[in-house]
Amino acid sequence: MTAKTDQVRSWRTQTILALALCALATTATAQTQPGDDSQSTPVDTAVAGAPAAAGDVDDSEDSGASGRANGSPVGAETGEQQPDLAEVLRRLDLLAEEVERLRSGENVEPVSVEDARRLGLAPSAAATYGRDRGVSIAGYGEMLLENFADESEAGTPTGRTTQFDFLRAVIYAGYRFNDKFLFNSEIEIEHADEVFVEFAYVDYQASEHVGVRGGMLLAPMGLVNEFHEPTVFIGTERPVTESRIIPSTWRENGGGVYGAFDWVAFRAYVINGFDGLDFSSGGLRSGRQKGSRAKATSMAFTGRVDVTPTPGVFVGASLYAGDSGQGQVVVDDTEYGVRTTIFDVHGQAQVRGLDVRGLFARAYVGDAAQLNQVLDTGVAERMQGAYIQVGYDLLSQTNSGDIALTPYVRYEQVDTQDRMPVGLARSLSTDNTYVTAGVELKPIPNIVVKVDHAWVSNDADTGINQFNLAMGYAF
Amino acid sequence: MSSVVAGSLLLLSTAGVSAAVQGGRITREEALAAVFPEATVEAERVFLTRPQMARVGELAGVEVASGLVARYVATERGRVVGRAYVDTHVVRTKRESLLISLEADGRVKRIDVTAFLEPTEYQARERWLQQYDQQALNDDLAVQRAIRPIAGATLTAGATNAAVRRVLAIDQVLEQSEETLER
Repeated sequence: MTAKTDQVRSWRTQTILALALCALATTATAQTQPGDDSQSTPVDTAVAGAPAAAGDVDDSEDSGASGRANGSPVGAETGEQQPDLAEVLRRLDLLAEEVERLRSGENVEPVSVEDARRLGLAPSAAATYGRDRGVSIAGYGEMLLENFADESEAGTPTGRTTQFDFLRAVIYAGYRFNDKFLFNSEIEIEHADEVFVEFAYVDYQASEHVGVRGGMLLAPMGLVNEFHEPTVFIGTERPVTESRIIPSTWRENGGGVYGAFDWVAFRAYVINGFDGLDFSSGGLRSGRQKGSRAKATSMAFTGRVDVTPTPGVFVGASLYAGDSGQGQVVVDDTEYGVRTTIFDVHGQAQVRGLDVRGLFARAYVGDAAQLNQVLDTGVAERMQGAYIQVGYDLLSQTNSGDIALTPYVRYEQVDTQDRMPVGLARSLSTDNTYVTAGVELKPIPNIVVKVDHAWVSNDADTGINQFNLAMGYAF
Repeated sequence: MSSVVAGSLLLLSTAGVSAAVQGGRITREEALAAVFPEATVEAERVFLTRPQMARVGELAGVEVASGLVARYVATERGRVVGRAYVDTHVVRTKRESLLISLEADGRVKRIDVTAFLEPTEYQARERWLQQYDQQALNDDLAVQRAIRPIAGATLTAGATNAAVRRVLAIDQVLEQSEETLER
């Protein structure tokens, strides 16, 4: 029997079932008081836990050919003898239960080898026929206008041009193979012309609480790196700490475990380490390898634990530890590992429209003196940053539906040369304070428009203020 | 390096052990048995009329996509002790089904997730769902008001809240209809 024949038969069966339903409905209507549209119609009851109607509806070749449902020849009855109202309602109930169960997504059974053979496909290719668990598509994007001050703190002309950037256009593509295995990915176009894979991994959901994950992973650090959609973070731009100390969007190749137990969630991965030869005075950001032919002589551990004592409130900590030398930092015939450690503590509270988030992150770079002998770029041996931000949805306690209007303010300090190796001087321009104030409007939760102003200062008086306007979406 | 690998292997083996002892998502029959352990539970498929759907939408303030309602009525010694409804909705691009059990007076008794086809990490946890316990339909039953959001799973929170409001409104409308009939 060919797959095509089966498909035709399947369609024929569905058509006949639909016609049977119409006939039953017509019969029911004829036996109901006309014009009674005020009361709902609870149909025949059944004991909870009884087998779903799927088992009662014969989907075999016979049913397709004869139009039988539950063993009774509907076609014959409509022509010769009307079934009584109770029987009509019973059948209607069976169909309603079947429809409701199918709609629910419960009891979605995998495609058996026999089913796959019947469809004329390999089991994996046939998977989408048996369950609504195949491909999923989602995405997000953000556009940013940056208008810089004409003069720096010291009154020096900045010469910075206003920039209008379609920062990110992202498509998430995923595929659920079965209850245990799924694939998820984020394909990103940055600045309208750079393509990246931001993550691409396979999950094995070992249990309700624990899973194993492998592929290109987001480092589970801080508040923004894993949740970097513009509708999630406050502000037109991500906090600087989560750009320079925790270099989001930070992704590398590796594997590990993830899970959650009641009020504790965790992730722990082994990933390839940074490429320390790309560190700079501005932080660790350039050391990301982004999964592209990554040097993997030096591997690293990264993980996080978050505790949610009450819904809407969580605190946690993240850690990254691993060498960044990748076998390339050699001074006087000695190889240096460039051990890099980053930790952060973070917290977030969202209660009745109030949104408070804070984070402190510190990074240590080992063998920084030797690394600077190779690079001469002023890599610090310690760098750190911290911020706190507060927002309040002015409409949260009103009956305005989904719309949200949230003024916010963020105070942040970042120093990418907090402590330099002996013999190297720190630059005063790397220790910056950012004060950002703005407002975001979400007409619906998936779309946001933000506007803010950032005042930037440092001891070298080179800070440049800027005005930002952003639009973001996620679906 | 070796310590990192050893630690990771330990974590992986822990995951394997957990996999052997943990169960999966609850079925609606299991949930009903847990919520109404002593009761007789009868299933109904209710077809809402157009006026009822309009009234539900008005009360809940959310979309009512289907007039077909899966409802369960729990009775003990002939007395109704609670009701439960299955609400199926889309979270992001995939469906979620919730069994929302109510007390006899219409307040939320418990919520169980019977199907969640989005990635599991977006699923609401039991502790978050417990915020709805004993909640009734009112203006304060909203995310960022009586209900706190889920960090990183805004759409799940929104979809769940809409489902609870919809079910509470459906229950209210159906109970009012039955009272009218009894009179």
